[in-house]
Amino acid sequence: MARNKKTDGVDESTEPGSFAPNKARRTFLKKSSALVALALTPPPVLKAAEMEDQVTAAFEKVKITLHVNGTRHKLAVEPRVTLLDLLREDLKLTGTKKGCDYGQCGACTVHVDGKRVLSCLSLAVMQNGRKITTIEGLADGEKLHPLQEAFIKHDGLQCGYCTPGQIMSAVACIREGQAGSEPEIREYMSGNICRCGAYPNIVNAIMEVNQSGQKV
Amino acid sequence: MNQFQYIQPAKQKAAIDALTKDAKAMFIAGGTNLLDLMKRGLAAPEKLVDINKLPLKKIEFNNNGLRIGALALNSEVAQDKLVREKQPLLVQALEAGASGQLRNMATMGGNILQRTRCPYFYDIALPCNKREPGSGCGALAGFNRMHAIFGFSDKCIAVHPSDMSVALAALDATVVVAGPQGERQILFTDLHRLPGDQPEKDTILERNELILAIDIPDKPFAQKVHYLKARDRASYAFALVSVAAALATDKNIITAARIAMGGVAHKPWRLFEAEKFLEGKPVSEANFRSAAELAMQGAKAFNHNAYKLKLAPNSIAAALKAAAGIA
Amino acid sequence: MEKAFFDQDNNDNSLDRVDGRLKVTGAATYAAEYQLPNVTHAVLVTSTIAKGRITSLDSKLAEQAPGVLAVISHVNSPGVPAYGSSPAMPQRATLGTPLRVFHDNLIYFSGQPVAVIVADTWQRAEFAASLVKVQYEKEPHQTNLEANLSRAALPANVQRDKNSRYHDYDRGNPEELNTAAVKIEATYKIPTEHHNPLEPHAIIAHWEAPDKLTLYDKTQVIKGTQGNLARAFKLPLENVKVQAKFIGGAFGSGIRVWPHVMAATLAAKKVQRPVKLVLPRELMFTSVGSRPETIQHITMGATKDGKLTTITHEAVAHTSTYEEHTERTILATRMLYDCPHVSTRYRLVNLDVNTPTWMRGPGEVTGVYALESAMDELAYALQMDPLELRRRNHADSDPEKNLPWSSKSLKECYAKGAAHFGWHKRNPEPRSMRQGQMLVGYGMASSTFGVHRNYAKSRAVFQADGKVIVQSATSDIGPGTGTAMTRIAADTLSLSPAFIRFDLGESTLPDAPGQTGSTTVSSVGSAVKVACEALKQKLLQLAVNTPNSTLYNTNPADLSVEQGRIFKTGNPATGVTYTEILKQNNLPQLEVTEESKPGAEWQKYSMSAFGAHFVEVHVNPTTGEVRVKRVVTCAGVGKVINHKTARSQSIGGVVGGIGMALTEESVMDHRFGRYVTGDFANYHVPVHVDIPPIDVFFIDEHDPHVNPVGAKGLGEIAIVGVAAAVANAVFQATGKRIRDLPITPDKLI
Repeated sequence: MARNKKTDGVDESTEPGSFAPNKARRTFLKKSSALVALALTPPPVLKAAEMEDQVTAAFEKVKITLHVNGTRHKLAVEPRVTLLDLLREDLKLTGTKKGCDYGQCGACTVHVDGKRVLSCLSLAVMQNGRKITTIEGLADGEKLHPLQEAFIKHDGLQCGYCTPGQIMSAVACIREGQAGSEPEIREYMSGNICRCGAYPNIVNAIMEVNQSGQKV
Repeated sequence: MNQFQYIQPAKQKAAIDALTKDAKAMFIAGGTNLLDLMKRGLAAPEKLVDINKLPLKKIEFNNNGLRIGALALNSEVAQDKLVREKQPLLVQALEAGASGQLRNMATMGGNILQRTRCPYFYDIALPCNKREPGSGCGALAGFNRMHAIFGFSDKCIAVHPSDMSVALAALDATVVVAGPQGERQILFTDLHRLPGDQPEKDTILERNELILAIDIPDKPFAQKVHYLKARDRASYAFALVSVAAALATDKNIITAARIAMGGVAHKPWRLFEAEKFLEGKPVSEANFRSAAELAMQGAKAFNHNAYKLKLAPNSIAAALKAAAGIA
Repeated sequence: MEKAFFDQDNNDNSLDRVDGRLKVTGAATYAAEYQLPNVTHAVLVTSTIAKGRITSLDSKLAEQAPGVLAVISHVNSPGVPAYGSSPAMPQRATLGTPLRVFHDNLIYFSGQPVAVIVADTWQRAEFAASLVKVQYEKEPHQTNLEANLSRAALPANVQRDKNSRYHDYDRGNPEELNTAAVKIEATYKIPTEHHNPLEPHAIIAHWEAPDKLTLYDKTQVIKGTQGNLARAFKLPLENVKVQAKFIGGAFGSGIRVWPHVMAATLAAKKVQRPVKLVLPRELMFTSVGSRPETIQHITMGATKDGKLTTITHEAVAHTSTYEEHTERTILATRMLYDCPHVSTRYRLVNLDVNTPTWMRGPGEVTGVYALESAMDELAYALQMDPLELRRRNHADSDPEKNLPWSSKSLKECYAKGAAHFGWHKRNPEPRSMRQGQMLVGYGMASSTFGVHRNYAKSRAVFQADGKVIVQSATSDIGPGTGTAMTRIAADTLSLSPAFIRFDLGESTLPDAPGQTGSTTVSSVGSAVKVACEALKQKLLQLAVNTPNSTLYNTNPADLSVEQGRIFKTGNPATGVTYTEILKQNNLPQLEVTEESKPGAEWQKYSMSAFGAHFVEVHVNPTTGEVRVKRVVTCAGVGKVINHKTARSQSIGGVVGGIGMALTEESVMDHRFGRYVTGDFANYHVPVHVDIPPIDVFFIDEHDPHVNPVGAKGLGEIAIVGVAAAVANAVFQATGKRIRDLPITPDKLI
């Protein structure tokens, strides 16, 4: 992480915290932490971290309930945890991918209450009570969702990393009524980057499913 | 990202009070820009006040025009029958922005308040007066292909990134905001600031003021409209230059014109002079060209954005032609 | 069986991707997704200056932050044993010392890892990383290639190797240019580009014992990574395990062992727990290489009737100060056209940046962009159709090596591509074709990529249940390695693909080269074919040696196999299945391991794949925006193993080429030596709406010389030449010759 202020190429090693974000962080540490007070007491770092866990659990975590792929999860999460990290790290649902973490690639697309959203730009606490569907929840048991079938048939994937996001987005695209033509599909799927370049095959897969009239 | 407290008040007053009381608190709605900023260390609130419980999602029409709640999602507004019928320019601008997923998350209020995408702002190892006042403007003598040609200062040459805001600026919209002292209305074109000596301030809003709604008056220029967006790739990219054009005509005579540009200034850039020039004149390519040239007076380019001096007038004329329905 | 191998015009015969189901259900496990008990999370702290030294690194606050287990830097690194002896890990085509992670306080580029934080959660590690305070003593840096051209030099690794192909090359007398009837001269620039696979590089490093290391890594080179880590930490090879079963794209970024891999490995040693490290997107711009920036100067001379007489091609690329990365930039110029007088020069400039690396189509994609743009310029200078110019200069044999081609169907590619595209409808006059407001342009370019082949091994095991397990330590960054190998194994064994399981992605499997240079099918595919052939022969032998078999004492040469059933040729009624033979012999399984490597054929033939791309663009005269409206791509790549996945690979190459032509550019602010386009919002790769329908054709080539499979490789050639075809189309549409990529609206307006 960058910490030095620079002007016109001259590197001034700065007084730490001379601009807002840093200052905010430091003040926060100073103020809010019974935690840091604990951590600052020097016993071995590991131990401090353990004590820290308890304090954090008591003061910092927020209890939420999420319905993920039909299963109810009661969770306690730090407010800063994104829905994406919660799915991948805590619920071990790694089908939802982290491609950029800044809402610029679409790999983390999931459905929240039926709408496609980017889980990397959603805080888990803000989804309390909502129904989340990830790629793992799309198939009906062993029976693949029509779009999953179509992606295989049309080879709408290569490395597979953008694929869950593409499929979740494609399902939404059809449900939104924005898959009526190839140009329309291309426009409304443009939030999902595929670096391998499977785009034409993905469009074919979506066209086929949409034209088949199957329920998605 | 630092740790922070999270609250979700059900009442408007509680939300505003939370920010009034706590200097390190911030509102969050869609989060599509704020989380991005927090992840990169550009915002570090100690408390997030989630306003999504507030009843600010309504889209309604009365005699004066359209009122859109600040928490209405971009996608909901773009798909709303009433909006599509009354304000097609807004719909075009919304659909030109971001992606399907982001439009499903981004709120109207948040879209207005999104911060610049200047790379110097985003990289905390580089100087930026907007992020760190006094550190210098990295873009001024740096990579400034995306940057302003109007209204900049030597402190900041960043541009406002929203497409939607460009349409709202053109449509004579106002925003309704609430603060500790009550509500006030702000003309959309007055909401965003030019950088001047305080580029860290994007708008004239106080930090504890909350956008409640956007009012778009029902005017005769609302139907002959076009939103043109030039960009590096055909979708999911910020504008190099964009133009929102709206015309009212009577037998080929322009009775009212509204034009705003995106990608050229620290705020949606209204072309008042060009509008005035067009009013009373016949619809013609020549007049649109002249209006475009008039609009470009005072434009100044930097190392990498001189192309905008040509792209902008071309786009103005093209958007006006499209709005007027002439080929 | 042979029929099935040559079905490239028959889509229906293609296999679906064998791992498709895992990928569309989210069940495919990529590096960061392995669930290891006790796993910890690592975040890198990276330098903000491009050159100098660290004067202080204050990690006190970070160490005390909640959940933090360790902060590791040069101050307290457990150390890499091999770093003592330099160079620690020399790698082919790269001379120098790979960055020694946390070894000392020296800074070689902005974005260099200076510390790694390990914490119990990623959020805590990430926050703690922001608390580390690093102070530097800065030295003046150089990151601008153009401003440093005076330092361009023949790479030292070339100077030391008299057999290197990058030495100055002169054929005939390049001075002939002066007397050429028609001449052109131009300089072409390609900016630094980044691979940017959708999956960021990620690793879980786990020391299972003090001398046993397991890595779950995003690597294209499994055995190479294993060897590198074993050498670095002075461990027996078998004590290092590398796993990479699914790789979310790489395009070359996964060929080397990069600093973050060492950082995670060191961190895991320190905390004695598994450490997971995922690069944030912005570090993908400084951590895993890039396509080098290049400046290329080309001159061409020709007779009035379009016969090339001279080509000179000088290429300068950037490298880092600590390593030399070289690639085949100028090689295609020596062999793509029949031209008597040719000279090439290759130079590098070292800059204070991280080392560039191979990126899809490495070398050829860069050189052929310049060469094929120049050919278009020459065609206009000659007032000749660009396709006709290429036909007239077709190289019937390799003019550099003076060897016959093992096979070549470039002329057929021209014919098929042009016919399908409708090239004859092109009006060569710039700005002469329109559709509505849009300026329309047609452009084309040739493509080529050398055929390569490496040593590879494969094991094939026939099991009692009728399934065959075929294995090799190769990887799949997306082309469909498992699918192609399944196809080869099934066809070789005359079995339905449903009975084949191909295992890859683990260092414990038989040796395979990295998935690089379009060599997987030629190398691993050959090993699979040889192993499966040996397995089949073993089964046949067993059949004729089994006393109670109906085939007892039959000459194996008189036997045929269909669907796993052996019978006397012409008499299917006499058969016995593979499974029955095993049963009759009481065998639980039958196993063979075979190897395959290149041989003397490489002295007798020149081996390359060739192709042609045809592109239509529309340019908006108001905004300068370019949109590609359709593409026809045609290639002769030897045998196409599985048409469906091969077609996808070709499409992917074209998409990559469109990005290269129109949008991709990593911009560095040289005042700071930092990229200012370091994310997907600023580094534009094409999105859905940028990509039109793409028609793919393969010319059926039977090439018995390249390798046992007969495949030349496809991944690289698919992108080579695309950028030139787009740029040439833009010229015809607009009359503007943009010679510095990408062709963004600002350059056309």
